[in-house]
Amino acid sequence: MSDVQEATKQLLDVNLHENWRANQVTESGPRSESEHLQVTIGATVPTGFEQTAADEVREKLGSSCKISKDRGKIYFDISVESLAQVHCLRSVDNLFVVVKEFKDYQFKETKEEVLKDFEELAGKLPWSDPLKVWKINTSFKKKKTKRKKINQNSGREKIDNGQGDKTDEKEDKKGFTNNTLDSHILDYYENPAIKEEISTLVGDDLASSKDEKDEKEETHPKVLKFRVTCNRAGEKHCFSSNEAARDFGGAVQDYFKWKADMTNFDVEVLLNIHDNEIVVGIALTEESLHRRNITHFGPTTLRSTLAYGMLRLCAPQPTDIIVDPMCGTGAIPIEGATEWSNCYHIAGDNNPLAVNRAANNISSLLTKSQIKEGKVSWSLPIDAVQWDICNLPLRTGSVDIIVTDMPFGKRMGSKKRNWNLYPACLREMSRVCKPGTGRAALLTQDKKCFTKALSGMGHVWRKVHTVWVNIGGLHAAVYLLKRTPQLLFILQNKTGKELLGDAKNEDG
Amino acid sequence: MKPLPHNLPSPHVRGVGPRGFPLRLQATEVRINPVEFNPDFVARMIPKVEWAALLEAADTLHLVEVPKGPIEGYEHDEKFLRQMHHVLLEVDVLEGTLQCPESGRLFPISRGIPNMLLSDEETET
Repeated sequence: MSDVQEATKQLLDVNLHENWRANQVTESGPRSESEHLQVTIGATVPTGFEQTAADEVREKLGSSCKISKDRGKIYFDISVESLAQVHCLRSVDNLFVVVKEFKDYQFKETKEEVLKDFEELAGKLPWSDPLKVWKINTSFKKKKTKRKKINQNSGREKIDNGQGDKTDEKEDKKGFTNNTLDSHILDYYENPAIKEEISTLVGDDLASSKDEKDEKEETHPKVLKFRVTCNRAGEKHCFSSNEAARDFGGAVQDYFKWKADMTNFDVEVLLNIHDNEIVVGIALTEESLHRRNITHFGPTTLRSTLAYGMLRLCAPQPTDIIVDPMCGTGAIPIEGATEWSNCYHIAGDNNPLAVNRAANNISSLLTKSQIKEGKVSWSLPIDAVQWDICNLPLRTGSVDIIVTDMPFGKRMGSKKRNWNLYPACLREMSRVCKPGTGRAALLTQDKKCFTKALSGMGHVWRKVHTVWVNIGGLHAAVYLLKRTPQLLFILQNKTGKELLGDAKNEDG
Repeated sequence: MKPLPHNLPSPHVRGVGPRGFPLRLQATEVRINPVEFNPDFVARMIPKVEWAALLEAADTLHLVEVPKGPIEGYEHDEKFLRQMHHVLLEVDVLEGTLQCPESGRLFPISRGIPNMLLSDEETET
């Protein structure tokens, strides 16, 4: 565990213990009962990276996961004491506690009957343990009232797990009219229009984090506010997610006497329906964890959770040199420097705007961890360079890992340009990447162009694995490549023109 | 930009072979950042260091107390590791240049970011 993580963990652990003491005083129930509470947690992850997330859970929490393959969800059991650590997972976007799972729910024939069943369901579910978990969870979350206001203005608040599947229908209780496709794209790529609001978030965050330490669990004698979010997918349902949310929500309201509130809610109840599977849960994260590192966005900033997944695929070892030669705003190297701080990360791009944004994001991250850790100064093992991907100022064979988000040709660059760019990139990357042990994880939507470019490079790159991902509705792929032991030799023929070829003899 | 990546760059200018390494570092503004000492990390980085380049950089940056090379048993020598830690991780070049010893080409470093872009003529074959 890195120093940052260790310190964060300790901070969160301290808060949790403080709350245990508070609970003893204010509640009459036995303390030991809550301590040994086992719960099932559900997490949404970038589609395609379910296994990677499961590996992280096993590594950090010791729990094995049930994977909902290709739906971007994993489930695992933990004891409630580990809740703080769950929030430190870097491969998950959103977390919820499972109230009940129905593996094979029997839907009645008519809409009226189905909705009536939902109404009756509300009162029959085992709410008490999940609500205990929710309560504990709320007590160590930061106050985010300022954030909520900003989110409302941007309209992003309602955009939850952007799975992007065509069969998914996602509508909120009161029919928030967002264009679904837009919302999916926004979820994966941050909208530059909200850049200004987001950058003030860091300021608010810093200002409010000082109050964090004094924050104890407030006793809420007032009525809780809630809302229901329903995600429905499947061909054979005779009802809409709107209707389900409405009727289920109505019953929940009657049962708990809570107040319904779409925007300033305390409890978010999740009703996830996929064919015959239903999962009822309570959200533990207010907004997606994936925006954590980036304060200065560009037009195609990658989600931190996706960046983490790609890095993890490469299995970084201590002191590995990890390079993102087309870093954009630096999402990947920044995630790398935070999680794998015993490696060295280099962020490079040819665009001065991008490099500046990356440098700013690095500074913001430094400031954030300075305040959190209370350290005088701090440095991260990361540097930014302005360079040309086709002419990398790096020694041959000096890089252990390359992770990058290649231009899709839709938002940045063009498909035509990719035909020339991709082969040139792969060649130059093969030069700097260490033969035998080097590896690369490359994300692209232009799979055809990539495959063609790769086909001519079998002597230096071996494709090991492909992860199919969904980026804002675009079907993309992450290609995991291994650098072969074959050396690359720069030859010059008689005309002085440089050729990249195979090394026939070892360079003496 | 820390001296560590400086260890890595070599301008891949067409027509200039791999002898264009190491780049000569000149700094007009340097910042020293205190960084938490991690002996394990430093010890493992030692084999990756290009000593000639590092010593030259240390010289131009007027850094004192830079080891001349790996000493025997460096993994457990705290003094050695702390000195290396300082030069590898705590020194940040904010403004300066990197110069190719072959061609004399200067690459500027501005706000900590080196600009290694070659012009079109330089990349043409």
